[in-house]
Amino acid sequence: MPDVTLIIDGQTVTVPAGTNIVDAARSTEVSIPVFCYHPKLRPVGMCRMCLVEVWTPRIDPATRQPVLGEDGKPVLALMMGKLQPGCVPPVSDGMVVKTVTDKVQFAQKGQLEFLLSSHPLDCPVCDKGGECPLQNLTMQFGPSTSRFDYADKVHFEKPIALGDTIYLDRERCILCSRCVRFQDDIAGDPVLGFDNRGRAWEIISKSDPPFDSKFSGNTTDICPVGALTSADFRFKSRVWEVRSVPTICTHCPVGCNLTFDMRHNQLMRVMPRENDYVNEIWNCDKGRFGMRFAESGDRLTTPLIRRNGKLVEASWEEALQLVGERLAELRDDAGSQALAGLAAPDLSNEDLFLFGKLLHDTLGSPNLDHRVGVAGEAAIDDLPAAYGVGQGTNLLELGKGTAVLVFGADPEEEAPLYLLRLRGILARGGDVTVVNPYATKLEHAATRSLRVRPGAEQALALALLKVVIDEALDTTFAERLRDTDQLRRILGEYTLAQLAEAAGVAEEQIQAGARAFAQAEHGIIIYGRHALAGGNDLSNTLANLALLCGKVGRANSGLIALTSGGNTRGAIDMGVRPRGGLSAAEYWPAASAGTLRGMYIAGLDPARQSAAAAAALGNLEFLVVQDIFLTATAELAHVVLPTATLFERDGTFTNAERRVQRSRQARPASAGQPAPWEIFQRVAQAIPVAVPAGNSNGSDRAAGWGYVVASDVADEISRKVAGYSSAGYTSLGVTRQSWGRQANDDVYYDGTSYINTEGVGVQISSRADDPKASFSLSRVAYPGAAAGEGIALLPVVRAYDGGDWARGSKLQPRMVPAHVVLSHADAARIGIGVGETVRIETVAGSASLPAQIDTGLAEGVALLPLVAGIAAGDLLTGAVTAARIERAE
Amino acid sequence: MPPLTEHIVLRDLDVPNIGDQEVYIQNGGYEALRIALKEKTPADVMTMVKDAGLRGRGGAGFPAGVKWGFLPKGVYPRYLLCNCDESEPGTFNNHQIVDRNPHQLIEGIILAAYAIECHTAFIYVRGEFAHAARTLQRAVDQAYEKGFLGKDILGSGFELDIIVHRGAGAYICGEETALMESLEGKIGQPRLKPPFPAVAGLYGKPTIINNVETLTNVPMIVRKGVEWYRTFGTERSPGTKVFSLSGHVNRPGNYEVPFGTPLRELIEADYYGGGMRNGNQVKIVVPGGASAAWLTAAQLDVTMDYEALAAAGTMLGSGGVIVLDETVSAVEVAYKMDEFFKHESCGKCTPCREGTHFLVKVLHRLNHGGGRQGDIPILHDVYNQMAGNCFCLLGESAVVPIRSALKLFPHEFEEAIARATAGANGANGKHAIALVTH
Ligand SMILES: Cc1cc2nc3c(=O)[nH]c(=O)nc-3n(C[C@H](O)[C@H](O)[C@H](O)COP(=O)(O)O)c2cc1C
Ligand code: SF4
Ligand code: SF4
Ligand code: SF4
Ligand code: FES
Repeated sequence: MPDVTLIIDGQTVTVPAGTNIVDAARSTEVSIPVFCYHPKLRPVGMCRMCLVEVWTPRIDPATRQPVLGEDGKPVLALMMGKLQPGCVPPVSDGMVVKTVTDKVQFAQKGQLEFLLSSHPLDCPVCDKGGECPLQNLTMQFGPSTSRFDYADKVHFEKPIALGDTIYLDRERCILCSRCVRFQDDIAGDPVLGFDNRGRAWEIISKSDPPFDSKFSGNTTDICPVGALTSADFRFKSRVWEVRSVPTICTHCPVGCNLTFDMRHNQLMRVMPRENDYVNEIWNCDKGRFGMRFAESGDRLTTPLIRRNGKLVEASWEEALQLVGERLAELRDDAGSQALAGLAAPDLSNEDLFLFGKLLHDTLGSPNLDHRVGVAGEAAIDDLPAAYGVGQGTNLLELGKGTAVLVFGADPEEEAPLYLLRLRGILARGGDVTVVNPYATKLEHAATRSLRVRPGAEQALALALLKVVIDEALDTTFAERLRDTDQLRRILGEYTLAQLAEAAGVAEEQIQAGARAFAQAEHGIIIYGRHALAGGNDLSNTLANLALLCGKVGRANSGLIALTSGGNTRGAIDMGVRPRGGLSAAEYWPAASAGTLRGMYIAGLDPARQSAAAAAALGNLEFLVVQDIFLTATAELAHVVLPTATLFERDGTFTNAERRVQRSRQARPASAGQPAPWEIFQRVAQAIPVAVPAGNSNGSDRAAGWGYVVASDVADEISRKVAGYSSAGYTSLGVTRQSWGRQANDDVYYDGTSYINTEGVGVQISSRADDPKASFSLSRVAYPGAAAGEGIALLPVVRAYDGGDWARGSKLQPRMVPAHVVLSHADAARIGIGVGETVRIETVAGSASLPAQIDTGLAEGVALLPLVAGIAAGDLLTGAVTAARIERAE
Repeated sequence: MPPLTEHIVLRDLDVPNIGDQEVYIQNGGYEALRIALKEKTPADVMTMVKDAGLRGRGGAGFPAGVKWGFLPKGVYPRYLLCNCDESEPGTFNNHQIVDRNPHQLIEGIILAAYAIECHTAFIYVRGEFAHAARTLQRAVDQAYEKGFLGKDILGSGFELDIIVHRGAGAYICGEETALMESLEGKIGQPRLKPPFPAVAGLYGKPTIINNVETLTNVPMIVRKGVEWYRTFGTERSPGTKVFSLSGHVNRPGNYEVPFGTPLRELIEADYYGGGMRNGNQVKIVVPGGASAAWLTAAQLDVTMDYEALAAAGTMLGSGGVIVLDETVSAVEVAYKMDEFFKHESCGKCTPCREGTHFLVKVLHRLNHGGGRQGDIPILHDVYNQMAGNCFCLLGESAVVPIRSALKLFPHEFEEAIARATAGANGANGKHAIALVTH
């Protein structure tokens, strides 16, 4: 956009056309006070706090030229003959803005007097006190006394619950509508609104359950007063008493930047920390309110050892000794192949790296994984390392010219912030195509939605490719590609009509999606749980699509995989994956058959998800479980090791866009539970080294295990792991000015997220980022669309899954109960009503669950939410499971 | 100026039962429509309305034909809205039109729609006008039956639907953009302008909104011609205006008079207001609804047209003329009027929501024997903190009564304070003093 030059308080300013006066003034450090305006929200001009004098050149109607005065300068006229809200009109050339005239100051003081007239002034007990724009602006611009009668103040019942997590104090509300606009425009959950009018105007929740949004906490940040407070933080602390520790959320692969606000080593609240590359200034409620688990009274505090069939407390020395010796014994007796390890994909890179080192290097086992080995979980996907979004990707800058293909994913449930990021791209003019077998919230906002038949995802992905090839939509990149023949051959065997028919999607829809993607300047493919469960063929096909369209190897183009856990990317990079050995799914038969004899499980709970896994675990000769709670798996262990949580340790995490980010220790572990990586080191040190023959120096029990702090591990990672050389702690700490904060911004946007002083992290390069890289298409197969018998049962991720993270959380009432979702047609055929119990039978097993009915679901499709109380492994056979569903007798 | 012998708008006064479709047709009804559809292009009709100098009767007096010309070329669909929210205190002329002469309004809407090439029109009827809304709906139904509405009107190929929509009783929904929000099913609050409705109005489409009386003039202009129309009124305010005369006159009611009729005549002539009750003196005249600045007895020679009233520091507004005699207290009048604005404030912007509340609290105490030293400067400050700073004209209107009262009758405020403070000192007891004698 062209630039516009204007004068603000005597200073000449040049800003992009379309900028409003408030933002133009901020760029030259002139403060225009605002309440309803927020740089992230659409301006509404309601609060009238930002009134200024705006003078524009008078235009001669005949010549359309500025009228010149005697001095030869343009004659200025006060716009509309009165003050203008600076948040609304865009700047124009020759404009002169005055923000400190008598008239302006009288108006500012007047609006503050008005806003305070019915305000309860209960700052001493208000959570917002200390970071409240109303307090701040009153001190700066307001009257010092009130002329409004105390007795005349309007009263409302003191706080009412707006939902499970948010309270509303209508007396403090200044009716700025920031919360409503956030919900309507940013979150896309229009659940808040206004009721009544005039002085009785009030915020209400319009949804059932009330305030039904996964982003509700953000409204407490942008509320410029203490009207919205969180159930999680109410009356916990004054904001100036807290110590803010920069951390990273590990609940999902977004990796939102957070701060843990601590007082006396207790968590007071969680706030988002701005990072334009990741979460802007937002986070989701799971990240904000789902961080109470660390304070749970059920935390494991001391090691446990099984004695006479029972787990009893033991000292660290004893436990570590036992673990080291038993693992070494098994290795020596049965060979390294008989050992296996599982580590959770929300552990830090440091943990995962040392876990790999322990299992693979020290114990020699090739059997590693970060999954629990039940049907329907994600395949290990290396494509993002090769073709992930290029270095420098910033979704916040994308809009027009960008096309995103969201394939087999439900961002709202799997990686909530992506819903906001994608809505932002749409709002800025981008194109989003959603491909999924069931409805998702994103699809309502998307440019187009392709409802694929379950099991025919590959047909649809190939159809997209076929359109690109047949229409030669983008060939610039094709010359750099090898092996296009195999793809052309397989695509040559089918017509688009055949593939479209198999996928159950109209050809025109497929063509529109393919063309939008191919022709866009930036193209991103986001694929999630459903796609990943479909196996590597599908993700290879998606990668081929990106390659053919040249949408790899540069910023803002490439793949993003929504994996489970906050650090699956890191787990794969750190080598916590089968290294020529068994995968998690192969562990259980091997353990049952007695070929796997010892296992080390850190942070995962397979026993809860599969009876077969539980039985297999029970068959092991030695099982070490390292966790924060006594999980179902831990109950089967021979040794249980308690560990530190995210709060109690330093570490780095790699998000879905390969951004490595650092999280800091917020407090010491209350019972001295060590960080996972420390435990791995101590176990390694407890393993007696097999002294090679002829070497008399046997005292060095564990060579290469001398890490003192997490950064020692990180240093080794940056030396040894491909791509991580750029991600040393120093580079991770580089900050970048985000959403246009200016000096003095605290006065207006206080309480709105935290400025990022800890660094925005480093996006490590993908293989395609290398300009010399050559690319070859992956070989893909098309076995035809699976036409299973019975109802297609699809596992679906639910953010509120009732996992251990939810312990102690105010979100507890929102946890999704175990149930199955049926289509209206199937429910009618079976003769089942909402809440009634059905019996589900598959070749893997059976279960009885209450049914919900979704009128938007296609006949013959049922959804199985992956939540507490559902053992997916006992029911599923893959991404799509053929099921018989009947009334439970 | 003699009274009209033939009305342009209130033709129910000339022709009994003109609300009956047959009677309306027998008396030249729908002839303008026939003429327009057969002989004139849409542009011709727009030009006629422009040349007739028809000005909007909803308050601002903006020339209707000029407004229609603001529609961006080639952008469709376009909508036409007829504003029948009539809620301005002292205004009741739209009510009489829809109740007694609905077909002329409908014919006006069809002509306007033809002129602006629109195929869907809405009539937004004030919620309380239940009977009028039914009358209107019946008239619309009859118009469909006779082929004046619907597809291929009178064989011309022109097509129009009219939808009668009842509001829920909010003054603010008469404001054009709030009306659109309400029509769209949202909370009735004004929108930011620009964009103006002619560019992006209802459902974001180009939209023309006109008052009932404005549109009711159109058939007569088309049927009888621009020259005939301009024989009424003044050069810059051509035609007639239906004034709703209320207050302490002997004959309150709706009077259609040529623009330029002196205010004194309107109040005193036998054929209009018939003078003041009990021969009392005029104290306050509010000439254009509660939003118009007050006139006093000294200003009765002003003529009732847009220019003369503006020159007198007030406005013609909605044409609601409220005449109050010497028995009223200016303090109470200001209180009552601002109480109205406070009640109707939508709450969207701070100065109106809080300012009206503040004003009313102070005026209430002044009216109930609780006035205090310092109240007068507070009142001045409060309305000045509102004036020019509100989001829409409702808040600006709320400034008008208190500013007029303080300007014209400052001593009444001082007296109220003096009496109250004397009372507080024990001289008059504790009770509120009745300031109003009628
Ligand atoms: C608070 C407020 C209330 C209004 N109420 C009405 C109303 O009831 N009827 C009306 O015709 N215009 C009303 N108006 C004026 C309309 O906004 C609009 O200007 C008018 O309908 C245009 O029609 P006209 O050009 O034919 O006058 C109101 C304006 C405001 C600010
Ligand atoms: S609750 Fe807060 S954000 Fe919402 S309208 Fe009130 S003051 Fe504004
Ligand atoms: S979006 Fe993901 S990373 Fe961000 S707060 Fe929510 S769960 Fe945590
Ligand atoms: S001035 Fe403000 S509060 Fe009053 S009606 Fe208009 S928008 Fe609503
Ligand atoms: S009106 Fe501009 S900040 Fe509220």
